[in-house]
Amino acid sequence: MDTPWDEGRDTDTAWKDVREAEWAKMSNEFTNVGYREGITAGKEAAVQEGFDRGFEDVGAPLGRDIGLIRGRSSAILSFLISTSPTALNVADDEKEVLVLEAREIVSQLGNIRYSDIEPRDLEAEQHAREHLETEGQEMEVNEDLEKKKQMEGVEDMLAKMSAGENVEGPGRPTVEDVVKLKARLRALSSRLGFGIDNC
Amino acid sequence: MAGNIVSPSLSSHLILSSPSMAADFDLEALVDLEQTFYETGYDDGFAHGRIHGLIEGRALGRAKGFEMWEELGFYEGFAQMWLSIYEKQGRSDDRATSHTRRLLDLIAQFPRSNPSETDETDFPKLFRQIRSRYKVLCSTLGVRPSLRYSDRSQDRDEAADATLAGPDKPTSEKSVWKTEKGAGANAPRAVSGHSFDF
Repeated sequence: MDTPWDEGRDTDTAWKDVREAEWAKMSNEFTNVGYREGITAGKEAAVQEGFDRGFEDVGAPLGRDIGLIRGRSSAILSFLISTSPTALNVADDEKEVLVLEAREIVSQLGNIRYSDIEPRDLEAEQHAREHLETEGQEMEVNEDLEKKKQMEGVEDMLAKMSAGENVEGPGRPTVEDVVKLKARLRALSSRLGFGIDNC
Repeated sequence: MAGNIVSPSLSSHLILSSPSMAADFDLEALVDLEQTFYETGYDDGFAHGRIHGLIEGRALGRAKGFEMWEELGFYEGFAQMWLSIYEKQGRSDDRATSHTRRLLDLIAQFPRSNPSETDETDFPKLFRQIRSRYKVLCSTLGVRPSLRYSDRSQDRDEAADATLAGPDKPTSEKSVWKTEKGAGANAPRAVSGHSFDF
């Protein structure tokens, strides 16, 4: 290792190196401490703002959208079950078809998870990519959300196992499936003559 | 010997040379310098932390908003459809119809954004009223309430009651959903353990 007392070295140059190394060490040390504390403070200061935006812009409207069609299909199913074919003005087997369709819609809607239809957060994706590029590691995610994701993974695995090892399931529902289910619900309610337009 | 350990540009402020000159050492300038480094780091860290806070907050807010409004939307859709059914059957004056209208009226009062702390409406109470009204409507209709909601509702109602009854809970906080602040600046993952008042 070089020391300022190495023979043949210019003493001024040697001390300059030491000074620069000390300088870099001190500036790094304090900058890093500041950075660490700043990142925590910045995160705490912004998390509520992010929460409110996520709640209002995505979570609440998307939840209401799914909730509404679930509630409507649940009402139709209970109405169909509790009403006689005569009162419905249909034949017995036709009522069965209607009940089956309502049941199918209710069941498929019940299978939809928030994670199936959640819109992408492009800003989060972009930032995660930056982390991966600069640090070679993935961005930290919230523990609770991570746990939920893992639980859903376990559920999927169990569902797959109970369906048989070689059976490939239809996969998770998508936004397109929601659109199709909405159309089926609309068709069913208009078949029964109920005027709900905006579902 | 020349022993300055600061950059040449700052050497006029901070002289640390021979031991005999130790008395001249400007400690204040060194502290200022440390502070400057710290602040530069802090500002950069704060900006980066803000991005993470917004991302994490958004993910949590999306999930919470979905969960709450999916349940409220269910009651709303259920009530709308029964109202439509009863109207078609010409039973607009029926008892179930009035329960339905009352339920829809309560849901309409519920905010679709996270209410500000200054809003004094008791939202947990409103949520409980909505759930109760849904159950009353179901029993009037002779329909079994959706188990998914009744189980969850019960737990939540109890949790909400506990929140309201908590003696240490400031009254101004009971009606909004807040992310839980970290224990302190030194906590390694200060904002990871979120819970919500609701």
